[in-house]
Amino acid sequence: MAPRWRKALRDFWQERTRTVLVVLAITLGIAGFTAVLSSYAVLTRELDRGYLATNPASASLKTDPIDDKLVASILSGHGVSDAEPRRVVSGRIQLGPMEWRNLTLFVVKDYGNIRVSKLVPEQGPWPPAAGEILIERDAFQVARTSIGKDVTVRTTHGKEQTLRVAGRVHDVGQAQARMENVVYGYINLETLARLGEEPYLDQLKILVAENRFDEQHIRSVAADLRKVLESEGHPVSRIDIPQPGKHPHSDLMGVLLLGMASFGVFVLLLSGILVVNLLTAMMATQVRQIGVMKAIGATRGQIAGIYLSQSALLGAAAIFVAVPAGILGSHALCRAMGVFLNFDIQSFAAPVWVYLLVAAVGLLVPLLSAAYPVWKGSGVSVREALSDFGVSAGALRVGALDRALAGVRGLARPLLLAIRNSFRRRARLVLTLLTLAAGGLFFLTALNVRASLIQTLDRLFRSKKFDLTVGFGTMVPADPIERAIRKTPGILRSEGWITTEGVFSGPGDTPAVESRSGGGPHAAGATGGGPHEGSSETGGRFAVVALPAETKALALEIVKGRGLAPGDEDGIVVNNALAAKVPGLKVGAPIFFRMGPAQTSWRVVGIAREPFSPAVAYVPLRFFEERGHTGVVNNVRLALDRTDRASIQRVKEDLEKNLEEENVRAVSSTSKADSRFSFDQHMLMIYVFLIVVSCLLGGVGGLGLMTTMSLNVLERRREMGILRAIGASPRVVWLIVIAEGLVIGALSWALAALAAWPVSKLLGNILVRLAFKGGLDFVFETRGLFLWLAVSVLLAAASSFLPAWHASRRSVREAISYE
Amino acid sequence: MIKLQGLTKTYETPAGAFPALKGIDLDIGAGELVAVVGKSGSGKSTLLHMVGGIDRPSSGSVEVGGGAIQNLTENQLAAWRGRSVGIVFQFFQLLPTLTVAENVMLPMDFCKTVPARARRRRALDLLARVDVAEQADKLPSTLSGGQQQRAAIARALANDPPIILADEPTGNLDSETGAAIFRLFGDLARDGKTVVVVTHERDSISHADRTVTLADGRVA
Repeated sequence: MAPRWRKALRDFWQERTRTVLVVLAITLGIAGFTAVLSSYAVLTRELDRGYLATNPASASLKTDPIDDKLVASILSGHGVSDAEPRRVVSGRIQLGPMEWRNLTLFVVKDYGNIRVSKLVPEQGPWPPAAGEILIERDAFQVARTSIGKDVTVRTTHGKEQTLRVAGRVHDVGQAQARMENVVYGYINLETLARLGEEPYLDQLKILVAENRFDEQHIRSVAADLRKVLESEGHPVSRIDIPQPGKHPHSDLMGVLLLGMASFGVFVLLLSGILVVNLLTAMMATQVRQIGVMKAIGATRGQIAGIYLSQSALLGAAAIFVAVPAGILGSHALCRAMGVFLNFDIQSFAAPVWVYLLVAAVGLLVPLLSAAYPVWKGSGVSVREALSDFGVSAGALRVGALDRALAGVRGLARPLLLAIRNSFRRRARLVLTLLTLAAGGLFFLTALNVRASLIQTLDRLFRSKKFDLTVGFGTMVPADPIERAIRKTPGILRSEGWITTEGVFSGPGDTPAVESRSGGGPHAAGATGGGPHEGSSETGGRFAVVALPAETKALALEIVKGRGLAPGDEDGIVVNNALAAKVPGLKVGAPIFFRMGPAQTSWRVVGIAREPFSPAVAYVPLRFFEERGHTGVVNNVRLALDRTDRASIQRVKEDLEKNLEEENVRAVSSTSKADSRFSFDQHMLMIYVFLIVVSCLLGGVGGLGLMTTMSLNVLERRREMGILRAIGASPRVVWLIVIAEGLVIGALSWALAALAAWPVSKLLGNILVRLAFKGGLDFVFETRGLFLWLAVSVLLAAASSFLPAWHASRRSVREAISYE
Repeated sequence: MIKLQGLTKTYETPAGAFPALKGIDLDIGAGELVAVVGKSGSGKSTLLHMVGGIDRPSSGSVEVGGGAIQNLTENQLAAWRGRSVGIVFQFFQLLPTLTVAENVMLPMDFCKTVPARARRRRALDLLARVDVAEQADKLPSTLSGGQQQRAAIARALANDPPIILADEPTGNLDSETGAAIFRLFGDLARDGKTVVVVTHERDSISHADRTVTLADGRVA
């Protein structure tokens, strides 16, 4: 090996402590970047592969009973390669003596011949026999049951029936049952009949014959099919077209991973700052060596090559450690995401492009970071280099700040020295502050975003003046419900609503922006469900809530116009999510959409703000009453006098008993707390993500401070020797270095605190908008400031400890002989 | 070999312009051992820097080996220095993380004057010539001052340059070692090298073929 490359290696070995710190910092960045990038590649591949393996339906059409003849007729042409009838039935599953949980039952005719939207049997007999139910694997903990046990199930129109849990299936395309707080069950037609429901199938799942991933083509085939079905006397009430070939959650996962990858790159860039500090210091201490090398014939390029090779070495060393660590992290992240999104990962192998990209980024970041200090350092002339005294630079310049620092009085001399020392290497100070402050900033942002999410959700839920929603699945007379409510203790107030679905789909409807929000089989109807409530795979669909104009159960936050008034007939209040679907929607504008087969026309009287909510339209109950639905509702909202879990449960039990006595069946009952739980689960992801990022950044910041302090100590060895020579004890030297670290820590805290407000607000809004299409009610978490101050002080003290210890242990002779 | 004509060098300092050299005319022939003497601040080192292409004149010309060097670019100067001039410093300036032999190989590495495989052999030969061959694989910090300076001379000879420039080469050595170093320079001059030594030690002058005395930036 040529001597100059040996020099590059040995210089690093001589600077091994600082080198290790910088390598560690870069390692953190590259490992994080590798973990996220590899996870992105593996998860997107596996999610879509697993999903495609189930042969997901291109479209689902809901109609009336479908027989084999109809299926055969459809399969005979119409651009369909396969079609299978199914049915989805809503119901409830009993968890405790009087505790029920919402249940979605999927009815399959022939489990031995599922060809579209396949299920993966995991345990238990296949196919399930009559009287048996299979449960989706993620739903077992919601159902609180296990294979072999009996569960009591009741459907909307059926009777209470005990079914045996025969096995576990994996339904790849479903939203996670835990997040939705719902149980997914799979039964056959015989079991459906035993449950007291008519044993028919009404949902046609089709696969298009050609252009399987062309959404326009699928739409066209579905529209043609609709005409065929309707011409044969089967009215189609709903068409769902999922994004072709994409798991319903792949977009959400993409956003999450993209966010993580961005911060991985950010951490990597911050670690680049440490490279700048290290190389700048190294160039400064080696200026004379540079002069000598030039004097004996080295060109600027050759010298720059030596130091750039050192930067590349830093990157290579970091890559060597970081890639295996990152791949391990990727496995953990993939597993967690697999559990979170309920899908299996067949292979954790990251594709080659991940390694290549990581290697390129890992080498480029330190190289680019070093480029300026190296080029500047290698440009010094021989004469300048040889007349340089190497490490003595850094005396206080005389600017305004210097004069201000010189004017600081009344502090102990060592502390004054520490404060002034902090400002000697300004560029290094700024870079160190940046890395430390970035950690603080993200920590504060994490707390602020969390507080803001809570505040926003609190505000959203405060507008709902009811504690319990009881759904009936169909229109039921209001009188017997009211009688049952009157007989039930603990209910302060009740209000009957009608919840249905609107859709911008036909000619004459208001044109809407197509968008997807989560997807999955989330029940339409604003019944107080989770964040996906009412969302559908088709962007033009939304919930319509008909409620008394003088409602006391809902206090909408009207941001434009007004709320519903008693005289309104065609007045409608839309929430911000629905308003976003209709470009240019204004108060006073007309709006047209379909409810069932009928087209309706409305005049927008107000726009309500409902963060995190799906699209909802609020209309007067009177609209339905005037169209033959007088005195009927399909759900009721109840305000309770006590809202603890036990009291709500007691009301549920009593009310259902009293409703049964009135021959009214409740098919769902959701408390406000249940809905909130689902929201909180979704928000937790953002919070955990920000905390992880802030820990990473804090780690890099700490390493940065340690590098800076160690460079400062290195450059001031002679000064410290002089201090010792004139009577400073090792303890005083130690304290001066620690105090300098603390000053930097405190400055970084102040910087983070100043930037935290705007950055938290901006970042919180971006994250929430990306993930949930909503905005935040911003709250600044002041406790976070004190918490991060404590962390900064501890981090600064810990980072300065080793350099301070080394400085204090050096003998006077060693210190003053250092050149 | 070296021809300086009307050479001036003025430094801009906070206190105003400082003329370090004021119109130097000097010819040094091949194989001469020339001692440049003078008081501190007389311009000795500046003169040496001009000859070695370390600094550029404010006016006048520096011809070395028949060519003017003042108009070369930094990189051209570096390459020229590596091949044409060997420089010896007062504080030896061996790179501390390279062994003595590696220090000697470094100029060959930069200038590619010797095939890579032959560089160590040449370095060892040069170290043997200056009597420190046994120190070849040690780090400079383990050597005495005299040994370090001998190694530095070996490094200066690495690319077999026709000119050796030494700036106070014995300033950090005891008189006996200093004398030995000067004897070494004498040997080099006899071998045909042009050796220019800046010194303030009167004893050293006796070893030189010629003495150039500088005072206030002029040849006295």
